[in-house]
Amino acid sequence: MMKWNLYSRGDKIFAIAVSVLIGMFTIATLYPFIYIAAVSFSSGFAAQAGKVVLTPIDATLDAYGYILKDPQFWISYRNTFIYTIGGTIMSMLFIIPGAYALSRPQLKGRRYFNLFIAFTMWFNAGLIPFFLNMRDLNMLDSMFGIILAFAVNAFNIILLRNFFEAIPQSFEEAARMDGANDFQVLWKVFVPLSKPAIATITLFCIVSRWNGFFWAMVLLQSEEKIPLQVFLRHTISNLSDDDEFSIALGAAGFSAETVTAAIIVCSIIPVLMVYPFIQKYFEKGILLGGVKE
Amino acid sequence: MSGVNLSGIVKAYGALQVVHGIDLTVEEKEFVVLVGPSGCGKSTTLRMIAGLEEITAGDLTIDGRRMNRVAPKDRDVAMVFQNYALYPHLNVAENMAFGLRIRKTPKDEIKTTIADVANVLGLTEYLDRRPADLSGGQRQRVAMGRAIVRHPKVFLFDEPLSNLDAKLRTQMRAEIKRLHNRLGVTSVYVTHDQVEAMTLADRIVVMNNGSIEQVGTPMELFNNPANTFVASFLGSPPMNQMKGTLTENGAKVGGVEFKVNGAVNGNAGRDVIVGIRPEHVTLKPSHETSALPIGLDLVEPLGSEALLHARHGDNSLVFKADTEGDIDHLSGVKEVHVPAHVVKLFDAETGRALNLEV
Repeated sequence: MMKWNLYSRGDKIFAIAVSVLIGMFTIATLYPFIYIAAVSFSSGFAAQAGKVVLTPIDATLDAYGYILKDPQFWISYRNTFIYTIGGTIMSMLFIIPGAYALSRPQLKGRRYFNLFIAFTMWFNAGLIPFFLNMRDLNMLDSMFGIILAFAVNAFNIILLRNFFEAIPQSFEEAARMDGANDFQVLWKVFVPLSKPAIATITLFCIVSRWNGFFWAMVLLQSEEKIPLQVFLRHTISNLSDDDEFSIALGAAGFSAETVTAAIIVCSIIPVLMVYPFIQKYFEKGILLGGVKE
Repeated sequence: MSGVNLSGIVKAYGALQVVHGIDLTVEEKEFVVLVGPSGCGKSTTLRMIAGLEEITAGDLTIDGRRMNRVAPKDRDVAMVFQNYALYPHLNVAENMAFGLRIRKTPKDEIKTTIADVANVLGLTEYLDRRPADLSGGQRQRVAMGRAIVRHPKVFLFDEPLSNLDAKLRTQMRAEIKRLHNRLGVTSVYVTHDQVEAMTLADRIVVMNNGSIEQVGTPMELFNNPANTFVASFLGSPPMNQMKGTLTENGAKVGGVEFKVNGAVNGNAGRDVIVGIRPEHVTLKPSHETSALPIGLDLVEPLGSEALLHARHGDNSLVFKADTEGDIDHLSGVKEVHVPAHVVKLFDAETGRALNLEV
């Protein structure tokens, strides 16, 4: 890295401006997290009065105590885990072989398959046809339906396909000369070489499944099948609609705001915990050294 | 017999034909080098033998079995790639074992084979390292090791040394030659480097524009090139070529008449190309030589010898001369002397070698 003294005046101004902008962006991204965490640990009165800015006011765990006692919270939490783990595994089982097939020049009609898949990124049938489709497939109010219906994502397939296409052809050729079939080329060569891309897509899938709200709300009716995000929506809706309940909560030391914030914090923690495990795969230059171009 | 036979092999991409009906037989245990400029079809031919390219027309047999529609893994051939193609996520031992594992070779056998081959290639201490932690030469040896462990019937090499620096290339060239002598496996080697071709090959196949120009031993090709292309491709520097005409006594270029071996026999007046290898001239005249006056442009010392860059009329020529420890005496050279037996004649129109009756 070049030393600061060797920068020209213009470069210094540019570097300072960039640092300030990045700093502001970081604060803007981090602040909502900090605020929600602070509210969740504050008293209901402080939260309702808008006194919480950065740190908890009248710190208390009452809001957490309230939600952790609710059995529906734990059912929704379990469901979210099922949808996230099952859905991510299902997605990867479709996306990895799909992307591999689409990346191979020998696939007949490859151009058209790519076109059809990319098409769904821009245009899709929309809410009602999708709902009717799910109804006709008997997958309304079905946990498996939620897992299967969103298994394939065109964007993720195209992302991984592009990564596979960038892997030097000689790896595949070497594996074929070594006796590998398509399946072995994919799982023994391409997948290990694509760990960064697969980790990225896995994280996309996890986050998207974890935060999945809309379709779960549309397709699921039974309380015992709803995920955490729908439970959060129900809770917010119940707490805001019921003034008497709000007053009762306030008297108990927590409010609709603090309970909502506590549920949000609980829903964020697992994703925050997953990231460090996946992050190690975001390594650069995994292909380095294998081929010499 | 683990020979390779190509009969009328054609490769076309749509309407574009890039290999035009090649006929070639590689005998068992033979080391054949396909050499030619970029785009001449040598790598495509090799890849057709490997099964990585489909054969448009013609027949390929390995060990007497027709292979046109046989998958690469079932051809019992191993290939060393130009860019090594080592799996970066596996260490040296795992890279070498990859093919054996796929073929479900027993673990003990894999271990023994890897140890033996690593020992032969001097890789024993690197077995736990990843490709990224190896030097270029070591990676190339691993690539060869990966091919050797399978004990294939045929080795295919696709410009395996082109990514190495000059010193390492010379070293690896010798290692490949030694390995071939030791293992005796039929080998087809592709390169654009004529030095590699000359030093490694039992026979060289010179290719140009998708066709074979000449097949022969290195010295056959060097001494008796079939045409001007082969003459200019093999040899470093390449053969000097000058336009001339046949006379009753030899060949004339400008005002200089070269004595040639053989009888012109009524061909006098025919336009020819006169070819002279740079190393075949002398600076001292004798009764068998013809003097060629030159204008010396540059002397490039190489150590024991020097390159003389010169002109004769419109022709730019290069000759080699002994330095005898000093290049000062070369700066005054005004003519070189060409023995009759080194003068090669080619038809000016077709470029084919003229075989004069001796």
